Amino acid sequence: MIAETYITIVALIVLGIYCLVWKSNLVKKIIGLGIFAKAVHLLLITIGFRPGGIPPIVTPQNLQTFASLSVDPLPQALVLTSIVIDLSITALALSIAILAYRHFRTLNTKNIRRMRG
Amino acid sequence: MIGYIILILIVATFLSLIVRRDILPIGAIIISFLFLVFLAAGSGIVLFEFGGWEAPFGIVWAADKLSMMIAMLVTGIASLVAVYSLRYIKERRHRYYSLLSLMTIGMLGVSLTGDIFNLYVFFEIFSISSYALVAFFLDDYAIEGAFKYLVAGSFATTMLLLGIALLYGSAGTLNMADLSSQILQTPMFLVPLALLITGFGLKVAMVPFHFWKPDAIEGTPSPIGAIFTAVSTSIGIYCILRVLFIFSLIELNTLLIVFGVVTMVVGAVMAFMQDNIKRLLAYSSISQIGYILLALGLGTYLGISGGLYQLLNNAIANALLFLSIGVVILYSGGRERLSNLSVKNNILMFCFGIGALSIIGIPPLAGFASKYMIYLAAWEVSPPIAAISIIVAAFTLAYYLKAFSCVFLNPRGRTEIKGIPLIMLIPIIILAALCIILGILPHLGLYVVEPAVQALTNSSGYVAAVLGGG
Repeated sequence: MIAETYITIVALIVLGIYCLVWKSNLVKKIIGLGIFAKAVHLLLITIGFRPGGIPPIVTPQNLQTFASLSVDPLPQALVLTSIVIDLSITALALSIAILAYRHFRTLNTKNIRRMRG
Repeated sequence: MIGYIILILIVATFLSLIVRRDILPIGAIIISFLFLVFLAAGSGIVLFEFGGWEAPFGIVWAADKLSMMIAMLVTGIASLVAVYSLRYIKERRHRYYSLLSLMTIGMLGVSLTGDIFNLYVFFEIFSISSYALVAFFLDDYAIEGAFKYLVAGSFATTMLLLGIALLYGSAGTLNMADLSSQILQTPMFLVPLALLITGFGLKVAMVPFHFWKPDAIEGTPSPIGAIFTAVSTSIGIYCILRVLFIFSLIELNTLLIVFGVVTMVVGAVMAFMQDNIKRLLAYSSISQIGYILLALGLGTYLGISGGLYQLLNNAIANALLFLSIGVVILYSGGRERLSNLSVKNNILMFCFGIGALSIIGIPPLAGFASKYMIYLAAWEVSPPIAAISIIVAAFTLAYYLKAFSCVFLNPRGRTEIKGIPLIMLIPIIILAALCIILGILPHLGLYVVEPAVQALTNSSGYVAAVLGGG
């Protein structure tokens, strides 16, 4: 289960970087960035996961066994922060893409003057 | 205590969007600068524990002398730029100022924090506001530059997150002092190290990753160009130093030396071929970063002091160049091509000349002392590298001569600049005066740099101070 997740993560990272670097459409680049970021989020969650773990919520019932059973809550907090950051980057990138379309009437980086890579 | 600086800045940022008073963010940035100067005069490492949680468990801000130096540089240059922009930016000024102050918050947070995920978050705050500032003028160049910068920058920050995730997975902590006390130098840590160096290197614009910088600077308003070349590169270099310190690899010299030399040479050659004054200055700043990386890579005490001193001088001189060229571009109607940009104004000519000479490293000016230290340090390690860096300095002289003679000495089609507002001139004159004073009395600069070098080389003191609780 864990091994498959790691393979998925690597595949997503490769896909995201490919999409970001080699696609020439601005929106596709943004999608690639999103895939890359989501793969890293998945990696963070997987690092904190343990098979058969319980959600990291302390209740009076599980006070004794909490530390030995629960998944690591810290990566989940990190991912929450990171999702917010990712959202704002995507929003800014899309708004710049809209502006670029208004100015150049194209989303293709090859047709936008001097814009390569 | 230091946590409250950010609080003041955040309140000023968002309040200024509502009440539309420019004085709020400007005042907040200047207050934070004065506060940091006051704080840096004290001794030791200043700790701030968020929510009262102790070091390895909660988020801790730990400001040693190196962080203090960078934070003072950030807020100092940002306050000069903020005052200058009052007359430079004509419309949508409240948005400009809230973005500028947000960018300052990000850079300040990066330089003061002791937690690597917190560092990432502040790095993103700084990056996102700088993407928006590059696009501020909303013309063709601005949008192109902003998108390019955004793609490169977000790629870099995602790399950082990946590196931090792997670091957390293998060490189980995010506190930088705790990390450095836990990490054994095993090959397993090379992957996160490489990811972090790539991420910060893209932001510093060292050579394989420099492609976004000239475009971004061409599109951005000139005062923000000053922030980009002067301060945000310093932040990137600070982050690289911190990361190397986490891995206790301050002797990872070959990598930095190679990057430094390549960056220095490529930047200088590319600067020579530019026709646009802002692109020329951008490539020049890339070339100067090469000197800093080289000096820090040398790893000797002289080299590190020279590198950090060069960081300081480079920031002052680059800010000076961009602020004075900003006036030139503003008054000649937005022209930026060297071939048709020609103005007549003695004060600007003098200040631009001072900045250029200081970057080249001509004796009575600030840049000389630091460059001389770098040459000496390089000579001790390897004479050919010293020779290359001196040749690159000659190149620097050549392209600055070209820029200077095109802009200020060309008699054809000259625009005479009269009546520059005092509020724009004062920051320029302060920076020029700093260049001259630090040149005549170099030990004044060393008075700031020396404690930073000691803080950098004495990393066990940092670890003890953070983990011991303050």
